[in-house]
Amino acid sequence: MIPVSEQLDHFFTEKMKEYPTQRSFLVPMLLYAQDELGCLSNQAVEYIAGKAGLSQLEVRNVISYYSMLTTKPRGRFHVQVCTNICCQLRGAEDLFEHCKQRLGIGHKGVTSDEQFSLEEVECIGACSWAPAAQVNYDFHENLTPEKMDQVLDEYRSR
Amino acid sequence: MADVTITIDGNKVTAPAGTLLIEVCKSIGTEVPAFCYYPGLSLQAACRMCLVEIEKMPKMQTACTVPISEGMVVHTTTDKVRQARKSTLEFLLGNHPLDCPVCDAGGECELQDMTFSYGAAESKFMEAKLHRDEQQWSPVVFFDRPRCILCYRCVRVCGEAMDVWALGVQNRGSASIIAPNEGDHLECEECGMCIDICPVGALTSGAYRYKTRPWEMKHVGTTCMHCGDGCKTTLGVRRHETGMQIVRGDNRDKSGINGDFLCIKGRYAFDVTHSDERLTQPLVRHEGRLTPATWEAALELVASTFKRIRDEHGGSAIGVIGSNRTTNEENYLLQKFARVVLGSNNIDHHRTADFPALAAALKNTQVRTAGMRDVFNAKTILLIGNNPTDQHPLLAWQIRNNVRLHKARLFVVNAQDIKLHRQATAFAQVPSGSEAFAAAFLAGNDSVGESVGGDARNALLAMRQALKGAEEAVVIFGSEIRGAQVKAAVNLASALNAKIACLGDYANSRGAADMGLYPDLLPGYAQTSSEIFTGHWGALPEQPGWNIEQMVNAARDGQLRALLCVGSNPVVRYNVDPFVLQKTFLVVNEMFMTETASLATVVLPAACAYEKSGTFTNTMGDLQVVKKAGDLAGTKPDFEIVIEIADRMGFDVRKLVSLGGGTRADMGQSRGAQTGEADRHAVWLEAQNLEPRMTPFDPAAVLDEIQRLVPGYGEASRLNVAAGNDEHTTALEAGQGSATSDPDLVVPSEDTLFTSGTLGRYSNTLHSVIESRRKVPADKKTPV
Amino acid sequence: MNAIRAIGGILKGMSVTFREMFRPTIVENYPDGAGPYKGARFEPRFRGLHVLQRDESGLEKCVACFLCAAACPSNCIYIEAAENTAERRISGAERYAEVYNIDYNRCIFCGFCVEACPTDAITHGHGFELATFNASNLVYRKEQLLAPMPKEIQSAVQREELRAHAPEMAH
Repeated sequence: MIPVSEQLDHFFTEKMKEYPTQRSFLVPMLLYAQDELGCLSNQAVEYIAGKAGLSQLEVRNVISYYSMLTTKPRGRFHVQVCTNICCQLRGAEDLFEHCKQRLGIGHKGVTSDEQFSLEEVECIGACSWAPAAQVNYDFHENLTPEKMDQVLDEYRSR
Repeated sequence: MADVTITIDGNKVTAPAGTLLIEVCKSIGTEVPAFCYYPGLSLQAACRMCLVEIEKMPKMQTACTVPISEGMVVHTTTDKVRQARKSTLEFLLGNHPLDCPVCDAGGECELQDMTFSYGAAESKFMEAKLHRDEQQWSPVVFFDRPRCILCYRCVRVCGEAMDVWALGVQNRGSASIIAPNEGDHLECEECGMCIDICPVGALTSGAYRYKTRPWEMKHVGTTCMHCGDGCKTTLGVRRHETGMQIVRGDNRDKSGINGDFLCIKGRYAFDVTHSDERLTQPLVRHEGRLTPATWEAALELVASTFKRIRDEHGGSAIGVIGSNRTTNEENYLLQKFARVVLGSNNIDHHRTADFPALAAALKNTQVRTAGMRDVFNAKTILLIGNNPTDQHPLLAWQIRNNVRLHKARLFVVNAQDIKLHRQATAFAQVPSGSEAFAAAFLAGNDSVGESVGGDARNALLAMRQALKGAEEAVVIFGSEIRGAQVKAAVNLASALNAKIACLGDYANSRGAADMGLYPDLLPGYAQTSSEIFTGHWGALPEQPGWNIEQMVNAARDGQLRALLCVGSNPVVRYNVDPFVLQKTFLVVNEMFMTETASLATVVLPAACAYEKSGTFTNTMGDLQVVKKAGDLAGTKPDFEIVIEIADRMGFDVRKLVSLGGGTRADMGQSRGAQTGEADRHAVWLEAQNLEPRMTPFDPAAVLDEIQRLVPGYGEASRLNVAAGNDEHTTALEAGQGSATSDPDLVVPSEDTLFTSGTLGRYSNTLHSVIESRRKVPADKKTPV
Repeated sequence: MNAIRAIGGILKGMSVTFREMFRPTIVENYPDGAGPYKGARFEPRFRGLHVLQRDESGLEKCVACFLCAAACPSNCIYIEAAENTAERRISGAERYAEVYNIDYNRCIFCGFCVEACPTDAITHGHGFELATFNASNLVYRKEQLLAPMPKEIQSAVQREELRAHAPEMAH
């Protein structure tokens, strides 16, 4: 029983052929699997280790290295607030503080209804529109606490 | 590669282009400190300690990753370099706890040494140090995270050199951490290489933890007493109320055939020497029960009984079974005792490989035997049978690292899919029992192709092609090939122009064979009528004696009236019915109350190989010294026991141990010199052209006789052996051998990494490792 | 004239005597005085019999690092180390001295061990009455060298032990 969908498994098998070695495809595989499953569970690690021809330990080493890969479940909407220098100068710390208050969770926390999770992240490449936040793969720019409320409400209503 | 000339601190040095700068510096005695660099492992440049200035390079370079090129000008002692080292140390010490007084590495810690040399005594860091509790990863591996300096030596040695890949690095930056493969514990070969290689005290050994400090121990360089590979081992010894106790095993000076390698048995299974179950008092059967007796009474009883039986029924009514774990000198003495004093050829031992058949097969061929060093340097290795990863860890290490570092080609023929398959250029799985046919087929004999089956035949055919024109090859075969079949392996070696080696299981299995513990062969695989020996020992019984099986049958029939069993457990090994031995006067020299010892009339507590001096010959024929490390009050070495029995039987022991009679009696190596150095006293004696005074209990006198009489041992340099080095012996090539001894008597020990025959049963460490592995559910077990 | 001078001399001498009679005595009353040293008094830095100190929670300070033994010029310190366990905690660190012997036949009271000690566990006390008729009595064991357990901790430990044994007694 594989933890990912049939299509994804098939996609992995096909895509693997384009890479010089099996392990080169490891990080993309981890990202795709995480998008589908929400997090990289033990079964997912076992499955991907088998797929890439690596030991589970090696896969875990890679997962722990990248902060966007996680083995713990996140919320349906993963709110990532940048607090790097440009955003910080434009009030990102207040923004992050506001999110914490609003969602009632801290850094890397998950709300009890599993809708939201919050993370303070390093630069997400949106310095021109600082302060910025990323929810799943969507960017929200030039944020203020009020605008952030709107963004969060919008997601909540989805 | 072509030589280039570089300048290091003003000195011109010439070395091959591409050599690493750090190695060149080392070769001229310029110290470049490094934590992460380790010869033989991949390059890491993680610690930044080896920074040096190279002219025309804008920034300082890590000497461990820079290959030298023509005209390079290097500075290693400038203020800038010193400052860089100091700052690096300050960073490393930023989170390093100040628990040197309790840390096991204290006193032999590389970080301590560097801090001492470069003096980053005060820290500018104000932050609190991160503390994590110590973790136990396995019964023998403990990890103390704050002490770790992240050099990754453990990760690399476990993966690259051991091919286990049980350690990894998780997280990144200052949060990096060494992680074991099973989350919170290790599932590995428990070799302890990670502990040995750790420059600080982050990985510590369960056996040695918090016991003592390095400078408190005496270090004795000897040979490991477990498997047949003969790793050089340094035993750390401390005073204890029952004598000298061994508290640590490692290879401190990284010398000998094994370099830095030791497996779990060499590193931890010394604990059998101070097991609670050791026998420390002679036992004599009295009214059906074994009761303690004095040494005098026990020896007197043995000697008088042997004498009576010999005089009344002749020597053939007495049998002797020797050991695979006693020294060459003891084995030689034992068979001489049997033949000269008892007048009996009834002598045998637990055979784990068919060495006499190999000796016979080597007759009239150009094939030579391979030493352990040859395996590391050969260009082609052909392994038939055996699973070295389990049974010959050092051999597996040599093969793996030869493949990894020298790009040697490995060919494996085996009935199982063994782990060395991973290193193999080609692998052929043949049906169990057809290893010899495979060898014959590889040598070009097509007629045996059918007996190995279709798939295997194709694999072997491809292998035969690949082996064509192989240079510097070594053929290694296990005990699967025995008797007349050995000829097939020798023919193959001959066809490949290769050296050959046969794998026996215990520390001195080869020595026991070389020293003539056979009913039909004298030392050096000579015939029982050999003039070399009759000339020196006088008349010998000419008829071949009984082998183990025949001895047991004779005991059943009442013909074998006495049996001396030295350090051997035939009751288990050969499935002897305990009732068979009831009528026999059975004397057992043992460390423990084994199945055989519990049947004995007299049990004599013997010292183990770590408690006496002598030599071992490993399965490849490398002769190495065994030095007394520990001792246990109440026991005696088998050497002494045999001489005392002979003396009490009224035999002139001067005929048994020729005292100073030899031309080579120039070394007294029984004094415990420090590891890696020559015995200074011996060197002095030689310089003065003097002979040491010898007692009848001096094994050196017997080694002297062995070197004079046993073909293949004479060329070995005694000084070199005494200094702790290995000398290859060639008794197999020189001896007559016998292809007719019963191949069924060869009973391999089938040891794994965590067992060591009867001896291993008494090791608490091996037990705890086996136990901890048993707890892991089978479905979670990762193959190692 | 001579007599007067002699009497004057006596008076001068006696005046010192009388003056001292009213001052506190400086003569040591050893061995009839009070206290553990029987009236003998020492300078604070006097190097006497060693004392193995305890920390404020009553645990031994010695972590069996063997540095005192290494520093000892007369080689008179013998230590056997063992590991603390959760059930049996003797010292503050991972390791403690299971055996700690000082051979006072050989000790020269140089104080190197005290200087070497990284945890201030071994100190010189003021004990000095070491004389004995039997040289083997001069090998002092850890129990003889250890500082006494502070009173309040000792009673706390006893209470703890009583509590631990109470359920067993109930059975």
